[in-house]
Amino acid sequence: MTWETSDSEGAKPTETARGDRPGDAAGGGDLILRGEDVTKEYQTGTQTVRALKGIDFGIAPSDFVAIVGPSGSGKSTLLNLLGLLDVPTDGAVSLRGQDVSTFSDADRTRKRKRAIGFVFQSFYLIPTLTALENVEMPRMLDKTPVKTRERAKTLLRRVGLGDRLDHYPDELSGGQKQRVAIARSLINDPALLLADEPTGNLDRDTGDEILALFDELRAEEDVAIVTVTHDAYVAEEADRVVNLVDGVIEDAGETAADGGHGA
Amino acid sequence: MSLRHRIAGRFPRLVIARRNISRAKVRSILAAASILIGVVAIGAIGAGGAAFKQSQLQSIQAQGATSVYVSPGADMEASHFDREDVKAIDETVGAAAVVATEPGSMELITSDGTRDGVSVTYIDDPRQLHEVERGGIPDNWRQSVVVSHEFAADRGVELGERLKLVSETETASGTVETEHTYRVVAVLVESQSFGGGGLFLPIEETGDRQYSRVEVMTESTDRAEAVAEALRDRFNDRKDRLLVFELTSLVRLLKTLVNGINAFLAGLGSISLLVAGVSIANTMLMAVIKRREEIGVLRAVGYGKVDIVRILLVEAVLLGALGSAVGLAIAVVVAMVANALFLGDPFAFTQSALLYLAGAVGFGILTSLLAGAYPAWRAANERPIDALRG
Ligand SMILES: Nc1ncnc2c1ncn2[C@@H]1O[C@H](COP(=O)(O)OP(=O)(O)OP(=O)(O)O)[C@@H](O)[C@H]1O
Ligand SMILES: [Mg+2]
Repeated sequence: MTWETSDSEGAKPTETARGDRPGDAAGGGDLILRGEDVTKEYQTGTQTVRALKGIDFGIAPSDFVAIVGPSGSGKSTLLNLLGLLDVPTDGAVSLRGQDVSTFSDADRTRKRKRAIGFVFQSFYLIPTLTALENVEMPRMLDKTPVKTRERAKTLLRRVGLGDRLDHYPDELSGGQKQRVAIARSLINDPALLLADEPTGNLDRDTGDEILALFDELRAEEDVAIVTVTHDAYVAEEADRVVNLVDGVIEDAGETAADGGHGA
Repeated sequence: MSLRHRIAGRFPRLVIARRNISRAKVRSILAAASILIGVVAIGAIGAGGAAFKQSQLQSIQAQGATSVYVSPGADMEASHFDREDVKAIDETVGAAAVVATEPGSMELITSDGTRDGVSVTYIDDPRQLHEVERGGIPDNWRQSVVVSHEFAADRGVELGERLKLVSETETASGTVETEHTYRVVAVLVESQSFGGGGLFLPIEETGDRQYSRVEVMTESTDRAEAVAEALRDRFNDRKDRLLVFELTSLVRLLKTLVNGINAFLAGLGSISLLVAGVSIANTMLMAVIKRREEIGVLRAVGYGKVDIVRILLVEAVLLGALGSAVGLAIAVVVAMVANALFLGDPFAFTQSALLYLAGAVGFGILTSLLAGAYPAWRAANERPIDALRG
């Protein structure tokens, strides 16, 4: 697992930078996702906003990375690139060695479904579907309703909502909704879980529950987790904290448990 | 795992669409109602008009529109048909019944001595035209008269009564009157047929056994048209040997007229469907805007553009199908009232009435499909990151 900004290591090739770290020497092949010199620009009218200014990263199984930084520093932009919701303006993002920019929109949708789970700050549950159906939702169009239901039930029990299967979202508390959303993100057994401020709308206790759940998932299912957060206690739990400032990774220093997991 | 869940699992889009429709109930009902109105307008007008047309056609047919009337044309040497001519016509028209007659007129001397003009039809056998109501026609029919129902009723003529008739013949020395007395042997059944009323005498009474009119009776106006066509083809190729007259042209005129009016009214009905389409499009557009983030999430978790389009189209079609189903029920009731009114039987649906009803439903659903297309396409093409940025 590595997180680098190209210019943070000067002119040093990124490959060398990655080689410096133990565990990565095994090669990029292990990585779920990898980015090289990733740049993202937004065009608004005549103005060009450079949201990301050349970032390198690699995510290995069961990593737990927290992305922190001031508002507007490019955290969501980065997460979108990791989630194949967007493609970089420059540089390359590759999923298990395949360059994302070679994928069509339909390809990206398919890969996203297979490999990546999303958890959003405002949950985005579908109000017309029960908790169970919300969890099933990403697989509803697959012709495997029985299997899907079993898996959804297992996941909901796992997040502690075994007794809320038939509740509609408006009958659930914020923390319960977020747990439903996490269960939903896991329905396709993703290798990578992306969360944009998953605890932002939750109190500390509920947030801690979510973190405990993350830990379990990493330990038991090797899910890698990348989360954007403003909450210090979430960042403390992470293996590595990426401090994004104005589209560039600052040397964080506060990396709590580097190398503690997987990498 | 319940059966219901298994079935729902088979048609997930339908389940999602149904839930979404019941989410904004009032809006959905209004959109479906607009389709309903269109379907009722087209279906009821179309099917009702079809019943009206059918009733008019039936009464025209009862007036003899299924027959073709043939008389000698301008280019025929004789001004009469002989047996050979009748045989040739018979061969040309195939299965249709051919009745050769010679129309004429006589004067009836009534009991108080006054004279009254009556129309006379000379014919081989009146039963070719109408059935016998009372009395009987002898095998070797001579020297007796058969009267129509109307004639008997109007003048109080009874079976066995003797009628005194005067015929006029033109000769070189002037007009010669001959008096005949005929016994009434039969009264025919009532008929609405054109040229029906009057007296029937054996063709031999003309003296020359010649016919100047041939009626070809067919099963339908279409057959009559075909027969008229065949006769013209065969006899009037270069010369006008026959004067062929059929009421089918009248029928055709009526058909075009009623069809035209019907299509115009149904067209007006279609405008209401157009309005319904706008209403469905508006409803779907509002739904799509309201569910923008939701659709973004669907896209993020792996639903393709096509999936989104299909889910939303199912929803639009479901709205249309809902309105169309209720609209169809109402239109069928209206059509049944029209059937009862015009045709005397609520279930006497004509083929074109059924077509109008089916067409109304088809258009209702098609309209909602088309109306849903733009909102669905728009929703599917929004990038999930844009939708989710709020
Ligand atoms: N679609 C867009 N069009 C134009 N500019 C954009 C777009 N998306 C993001 N930006 C700009 O890119 C920069 C990074 O935005 P981003 O949403 O990634 O920030 P963030 O770190 O997630 O902020 P926050 O903590 O407030 O969510 C911002 O300056 C923002 O204005
Ligand atoms: Mg953000």
